[in-house]
Amino acid sequence: MAGVAEHAVDEQGILDILQRHSTDRGGLIAVMADIQAEWGFLPEEALRIVARASGRSLVDVYGIATFYSAFSLRPRGKHLICACLGTACHVRGGPGVVEEIERQLGIRQGETTPDGLFTLETVNCLGACALGPVVVIDGHYFSKVRKTQVRRLLDDTLAGRAGKEDGAGRLVPLEVSCPRCNRSLMDPGHPIEERPSIRVTACFDDQYGRVRFSSWYGGNGFCAEPEIPSGHTARLLCPYCHEELTGTDACPACDAAMAAMLVRGGGVLRVCSRQGCSGRRLDFP
Amino acid sequence: MPRLASTSHLRRLRHLLLSDQDRRELHLTTCAETACRASGAMTIVQAVQGYLLQHGLVDRIALHATGCHGFCEMGPTLLVEPQQAFYPKVKVEHVPEIIEAALEGRYVEHLLYRDSHTGRICYQRDDIPFFKHQQRTVLGMSQKIEAERIHDYIVHGGYAALAQALDQGDPAWVVEEVKRSGLRGRGGGGFPTGLKWEMLARQPGDRGKFLVCNADEGDPGAYMDRSILEGNPHSVLEGMLLGAYATGATEGIVYVRSEYPLASQHLSVALRQAREFGLLGQGILGTDFHFDVQMIRGAGAFVCGEETALIHSVEGKMGEPRQRPPFPIEKGIDGKPTAINNVETWANIPVIINQGAEQFAAIGTKNNSGTKVFSLVGKIKNTGLVEVPMGMTIGQIVHDIGGGPVGKAKIKAVQTGGPSGGCIPASQFHLPIDYDTLAAAGSIMGSGGMIVMDESTCMVDVAKYFMNFLRDESCGKCFTCRKGTQRMYEILDDITRGLGTPEHIDLLEELALVVKDTTMCGLGQTAANPVLSTLRHFRHEYQRHVIDKRCDAFVCRELVGASCQAACPLETEAWRYVALVEKGRYEEAYQVIREANPLPSICARVCDRQCEQHCQLGAMGADPVAIRALKRFVTDRVDPSVYRQKRVEGGAGPICAQHPKGRSGKSDLSSSPGPPSIAVIGAGPAGLTAAHDLAGLGYRVTLFDAEAEPGGMLLGCIPAYRLPREVLRKEIQSLLTENITLRCGTVLGRDVTLDGLFAEGFRAVFLAIGADKSWRLDLPGEELAGVCSSMEFLKAFNLHGEELAGGNVGIIGGGNSAVDAARVAMRQRHVQSVRLLYRRTSRDMPAFAEEVEAALEEGIELETLVSPVKIRYIEAALREGVKVETMVSPVRIHARDGRLVGIECVRNRLGDMDASGRRRPVAIPGSEFTLSLNTLIVAIGERPDSEPLKTMGLEIDKAGSVVVDPDTLATGREGVFAGGDLVTGPNTVVGAMAAGRRAAQSIDRYLQGLPLRRPPEVHLPSVFVEPAAVEPDEDEAPVRIDPATIPAPSRQKSFVEVELSLSAEQAAAEARRCLRCDLKFTSPASGRAVCPAAEN
Repeated sequence: MAGVAEHAVDEQGILDILQRHSTDRGGLIAVMADIQAEWGFLPEEALRIVARASGRSLVDVYGIATFYSAFSLRPRGKHLICACLGTACHVRGGPGVVEEIERQLGIRQGETTPDGLFTLETVNCLGACALGPVVVIDGHYFSKVRKTQVRRLLDDTLAGRAGKEDGAGRLVPLEVSCPRCNRSLMDPGHPIEERPSIRVTACFDDQYGRVRFSSWYGGNGFCAEPEIPSGHTARLLCPYCHEELTGTDACPACDAAMAAMLVRGGGVLRVCSRQGCSGRRLDFP
Repeated sequence: MPRLASTSHLRRLRHLLLSDQDRRELHLTTCAETACRASGAMTIVQAVQGYLLQHGLVDRIALHATGCHGFCEMGPTLLVEPQQAFYPKVKVEHVPEIIEAALEGRYVEHLLYRDSHTGRICYQRDDIPFFKHQQRTVLGMSQKIEAERIHDYIVHGGYAALAQALDQGDPAWVVEEVKRSGLRGRGGGGFPTGLKWEMLARQPGDRGKFLVCNADEGDPGAYMDRSILEGNPHSVLEGMLLGAYATGATEGIVYVRSEYPLASQHLSVALRQAREFGLLGQGILGTDFHFDVQMIRGAGAFVCGEETALIHSVEGKMGEPRQRPPFPIEKGIDGKPTAINNVETWANIPVIINQGAEQFAAIGTKNNSGTKVFSLVGKIKNTGLVEVPMGMTIGQIVHDIGGGPVGKAKIKAVQTGGPSGGCIPASQFHLPIDYDTLAAAGSIMGSGGMIVMDESTCMVDVAKYFMNFLRDESCGKCFTCRKGTQRMYEILDDITRGLGTPEHIDLLEELALVVKDTTMCGLGQTAANPVLSTLRHFRHEYQRHVIDKRCDAFVCRELVGASCQAACPLETEAWRYVALVEKGRYEEAYQVIREANPLPSICARVCDRQCEQHCQLGAMGADPVAIRALKRFVTDRVDPSVYRQKRVEGGAGPICAQHPKGRSGKSDLSSSPGPPSIAVIGAGPAGLTAAHDLAGLGYRVTLFDAEAEPGGMLLGCIPAYRLPREVLRKEIQSLLTENITLRCGTVLGRDVTLDGLFAEGFRAVFLAIGADKSWRLDLPGEELAGVCSSMEFLKAFNLHGEELAGGNVGIIGGGNSAVDAARVAMRQRHVQSVRLLYRRTSRDMPAFAEEVEAALEEGIELETLVSPVKIRYIEAALREGVKVETMVSPVRIHARDGRLVGIECVRNRLGDMDASGRRRPVAIPGSEFTLSLNTLIVAIGERPDSEPLKTMGLEIDKAGSVVVDPDTLATGREGVFAGGDLVTGPNTVVGAMAAGRRAAQSIDRYLQGLPLRRPPEVHLPSVFVEPAAVEPDEDEAPVRIDPATIPAPSRQKSFVEVELSLSAEQAAAEARRCLRCDLKFTSPASGRAVCPAAEN
């Protein structure tokens, strides 16, 4: 199978996950949820490692993997479409929407397109019943979906537009400064998304570097020199007074520390310190 | 933040936060939970923030992104305080306008919520009926706080109940309070929570005890638990802390289903904050009370909501239930005592401690205290989360809070309790909602999902849906559940595919009872409920599926095919001619129309278009395809001579002579040479269609009519501006072939009798004399000069050119004949004003809405303050200088010198719901008023003039209709058939035509000596027409194109046809909107169409 290489399982990664959950409850279910988060599905090899390392029989492990519908033993596509077939969505035409997705993609629910782009799954209720029929594509919720919208949703997903509100006019331009020395953190010399970027010093692995990101609130432009591996956190410092830009809040999305900067005009911008996490929030205290 | 070292420390913190309260002058609040986020709430948050920054308003205006406000249908919403203005469905471009107005203390009226019944603007949130009738206690705080800020929770009194309990220092007091409050488990079982706690408190605590919050909200259609966890997770934690303190539990677990990412995110933030504040963990608030809570995420298994299965899942195993006893309260997680309560139950605990048990128990009804959250979803106008005191009636929730049905389709049931629950029919909406009443009605409370179903929901399909769900979710441990749900699903599937027999229903019922009795856990024991409750209340729908092979909700695909075709009483292949119009193949399109319908040009103008009402595009919320306008386009454009009659099987005459099969055993039928003769009485749409079909079968038909000319109601009642006379006459003429003899001016009972006709040699008679006798008001003075019935009035004009109306005209009634009479009166020379008087609201008027609207445009007066439709009408009426009165009933007729001078009316208000699902009009004493009138036209309904038929051996019912077998239209007298309005009372043109067709078939079978009843047939699309080449790629779905009408001023006193035809471009564009439901059956790609029902 073409995808085998990219699904290669490194044993250490699995053992790390097992280690992480050695003390908490939930045991294998939490372990498998993490494995699936990492690889997108539960590779056979991973399940064998889990069985070996945890001392549970492979039957037990397989039993859990197949009992819970959230787990998949087959690789999933690049884009995951999850259509709700709860009662409220059902009476409002959910099955018709699923049929249309099936028709457009040429696959049935639970399957992945041969090109590996889309996987279509259905779920029994997402709890957004007031807005049925609901379809979730790559984590973005679409409400009151009509059959006639399906084509466009799929096209938008492929073009990376799905769930994104169009137009930079909706984004908020920010100017931020260090909460300690109050010096501007704006860097007109290196614009991102056609605005001066926000520049801070990043400390990762005892190395110091620069991180620049978009000064649009809601924008996602970003660059780091040297690069920080995805998923790792860095300490973010003011480039002038070298104080850490600490905030009291943790990132709602990933629980990492958030750096805080003062916003001109009032308010605080908080940015998640984890590489790859888009957690940002603007607070007016 | 340092840990809070004592309860007084917590109070000081609250005090401090309160004194430091926001002094900003305006507060904007938007809901930012999952459903509103899906509707774009975060974009609104950004837009507001951007506006505040750019305009330097950060110090003056605060923005709160809070939990659920409940009105999910209207999201994203924006609440402006202190004004209390509530803006629904806010868009980014509305933000500046709203903020600017708010700063000046103004309201943006056009963006405010408008009551859909009265059209009134609701300035404040609590004026909105959806909120007005609620009592939001458990949900109340969610809409004020940001879930991720523990400070918000504390400011609003959070953890005060915990502090109070710790200060009291008596765990037994907490148990007692909860017991006295009467709180019952909100997860659905309704077990008294206090009792459960008492049992846990009595368990030995040496090995530790568990408390579990069950947030595996698996019932599809229920989402209150998600909303509470997302919007106010601390309230659940506080409830668990109180529970732990009361019972001595040491460890807490929140089991959240994996489908709720935002809820688990907010919960984990809350857990972290609570630990940091010293509200969880060791030495809580400086006492020696220890308790910690962990979140465990499920992985998608409905059965894990069952407590023993949940325990297995928490232990990291497969979530299979186990036998009880031992009950979890003795042996739960890791064999330790465990009490499991639902999210909403936990969130009620702080409320009880804060309010006191007495006050809590005073809300709701006896044995069902407190409030309950329901998720009101499905086919209802105001979907969302509602919280009401227990004991409110279902009807109040559905109609007062939910705002009633979305469209025209009537609500027929609510489903409560998810897959374990059942359906409650609309006839029982007077029942109060509580655990015991719902159980007695054959359903359960469940966790609070209320899924509203209307006429477009098929109850067999609903049962099938739940059974599919349950067979999927059955863990498989018990054979009877695993196989039973599977078999029940298969039986239901057969029924929905037209393969069912009456025995299927019996077997299904038997199986359901067996599964109920022989399974171990709650899932299996209740798995039969969806079947048993739909069988109990909607057995007739099952019977329609198995006996008549019909799905009246147009849901079961294999019985419906294309819904436009299935909806048409003549089964016209609407999808097919629509597709042909798109291709420009107009002659073929005409052929398709004409094959099914002998009066195509007439129906293209006056049909009530069942096809459009059931169009799938309409079912999806868009406007249906303008099928009738496309039919008009085709019939206007194609010469009828292109039609060549299709040869029909069976029959008697020349056509059949070429069909050896049709002739068998029939040679002795006719004593006279040639084909048998049949008498058709009444040359309206039913009679014309019967005559046409019988003539096509080769019979000789004599068509009798009382008037001087054929046409019946088409000619006598329908005004020329809707149906031009030359179109009507030409079409009727084209039907009258050499096999049809016309005998006009012949009245049944006066000129001919049934006995006489049989004596003349007619072998069968079809009675289709219609219903043209008007009901009377039963007021003294109806015989006065100046008072007439709508039938007399319309016939006098349409048939004889007499104008009976003059001066000020009043018309009583709200049906089509009332509106026709009004519009005809408006066109008569001596009429000054026309006023329509209707006893209900204009929304309830049975007349076609577009006719009512046209009438108003033409200057007919209509006056009301009740519905928004009416307000629109009022605008139109004002423009034309005229009006209509609704909610009035006539009480007295005033006369002078034997002539009408006026009428006294009384105003009505809306009372209870009646059997028709409309609110009953109730007279308001003292509201009488008098109108001076020169002409009064009574149009309150018609009935058949069937008096003479009584003496001819026919059975007549109370309404004057002839009693027939509804399938064959055979009367009690041999050889006599009846149909159309004579049987049904006033009905549609196409309905009458379908009766004519059915009668022709029955007469044919009767004369051939075959059994009259034919096996039911399902006609699925079978001809493939290539779909449109271009994929519609527009940003917005194309809108329906309705034909233009000639402007109202030029309609004055004119009988020129009002509605115009579509252009070729318009027709093609409109036809392209069709979803082509037929392709599922005909597309070469999807394989040859096979009709399972037809195979039998």
